[in-house]
Amino acid sequence: MKYLTLFFIFAILISYGCAPQAVQLTPTEQKQVQALQRGEDTLKDRDKKTGITEEELAARDKTKEWSLKEIIGNSPLKDIYFEFDSSTIKPYYFPKLNEIANWMKKYRNIKIIVEGHCDERGTIEYNLALGQKRAESVKNYLVNLGVDDASIKTISFGKEIPADSGHEEDAWSKNRRAGFKIDQKG
Amino acid sequence: MTKSKMTLITLVMIALLFTTTTAHAKVYLDIFGKSFKKITIGIPPFKGETIDRSRMDMSELLNKDLDMSGFFIVAPQSLMDKELTDEGIEKQEIKFSNWKSIGIELLCKGKIQKINGDLVLEAFVYDTLDGALMLAKRYKTKTEDWRKIVHRLADDIMLAITGEKGIMSSKIVFASGGRSRKDIYMADIDGSNLKRMTNYRSITLSPSISPNGRYLAYTSYREGRPNLYIMDIENNREVYTDRTDGMKTGTTWAGNTIFGYSHTLGRYSNIYTLNVENKDKKTAQRNDGIATSPSFSPDGTKMVFVSDMHGSPQIFIKDLPSGTPKRLTYSGTYNTSPVLSPKGDLIAFVAKFEGAFEICTMNTDGSNQRVLTVGGINDSPQFSPCGRYIIYSSNKGGMYNIYLMLFNGESKKMLKFTGGEETQPKFAP
Repeated sequence: MKYLTLFFIFAILISYGCAPQAVQLTPTEQKQVQALQRGEDTLKDRDKKTGITEEELAARDKTKEWSLKEIIGNSPLKDIYFEFDSSTIKPYYFPKLNEIANWMKKYRNIKIIVEGHCDERGTIEYNLALGQKRAESVKNYLVNLGVDDASIKTISFGKEIPADSGHEEDAWSKNRRAGFKIDQKG
Repeated sequence: MTKSKMTLITLVMIALLFTTTTAHAKVYLDIFGKSFKKITIGIPPFKGETIDRSRMDMSELLNKDLDMSGFFIVAPQSLMDKELTDEGIEKQEIKFSNWKSIGIELLCKGKIQKINGDLVLEAFVYDTLDGALMLAKRYKTKTEDWRKIVHRLADDIMLAITGEKGIMSSKIVFASGGRSRKDIYMADIDGSNLKRMTNYRSITLSPSISPNGRYLAYTSYREGRPNLYIMDIENNREVYTDRTDGMKTGTTWAGNTIFGYSHTLGRYSNIYTLNVENKDKKTAQRNDGIATSPSFSPDGTKMVFVSDMHGSPQIFIKDLPSGTPKRLTYSGTYNTSPVLSPKGDLIAFVAKFEGAFEICTMNTDGSNQRVLTVGGINDSPQFSPCGRYIIYSSNKGGMYNIYLMLFNGESKKMLKFTGGEETQPKFAP
């Protein structure tokens, strides 16, 4: 009897520890996992049974690379611009960011870096922080639209890399920006 | 009873008399008074200098040093005729009335000798009013270090006349370079002995050096993103690195071991203090949005910083470790880069006026705000260790250069180092 109670407590503890993780997977995620597993299996099978030549692999890699380049080339990743000393996203950019969010949700394996920049006005140190805040504000907008938090990194360059080296509003307005880069390292 | 009381009063009076007289004798020029008059000093060529003046012009360098100090008007050489320059250096050889008649209040005479391969400089400073000897010093060094002893003489003259040592023996650490490429440099304040401290073909900026000169901290993009590094300069070893995501910058020191910096990531900013010896890291401030440019009082009990927690960048002061930040600036929409004076009684900062960003000072309660610069983008003010000078960068001359001025904005001088854009200067020992 005593052992039975202990066993039950133990079993409850184990199930409590494991259950939430199992539940966390959405149906689509489960499908993805299954697909991934199937893909691995078929590859392994082909390797064992027939094997594929190196040329075939290279050709396949090339098409894959080309298509990735194509995806990136046609991406909606265009700079967005800010007001002086502001990291608030202007409503004008909402549709553009929606487009980026949809694109990122479509190509889930692509990771990006949002780069925050400032114009030359103000102090160097404050602008380093402000650039970060601009990048974070763009990331936050995309994450709120359902983009995976882990697929967006942020970085600030302060006023160190102006897009336009001029010293008037025309140049400044081009420098107060958030740019996008594909995160090659993943 | 009354007798002892009387003795006590007499003693106090004597003591008071004594302190006032010594204070008066010591401080010739009180810069912390409301205004001060610059003293005119004459420095004729040193005896024995004519030998290799083209390579080693010590009296000329002393003229430059004292001019840069902001406390003196340096008499032009053209005022001194042959009779004056040929005169000896001993008190009895000098006709003080002649010097006084051309407006010179202080006279510095020097003699250079080579003794056993060493360079020896003897210097005397006289008050031309009564011929009183203000300073008599003898310096010895290797010939190639001739600048060093001139700077030391300049600092000693400042000590004798103003009551505090000058800054001409100091070094300056700063960031220099153009778009996408910046490095940290260090040089003597007169521009000589320029040394590149980093060389990463990347953006390296926001340097700060511990008061004992041992640790150099900076933010560098050399690994692709802005990481924070603290180097032990003596053995070129990394003692601390923060490689976490986000912006790490605003490096500063409170003493030789406590280091401060800011970190912005996600919604929040943190200002950390780090003990570089035992790596003990504490959060000194955390808020929504930005918190950066921390600066500590020498005892580490007070911190000023900039934050946009109320919308626009404003300056706050906080008692450490756990006080509530108190907002100091209310006028204008852009007040940044605060720095506490070494005596903890003054804050220098940058404020936006129309299109310009000016260096300002205020008391530690936010009162008595003064604007010290006129136009351009002025950035990164820092006090000298004595608190009498502010060093900063400005693009007023068309490009970013480093400038030195007195704490009240007087006597602005541009310092020359690399010839390129120079920013974020700080005093180094």
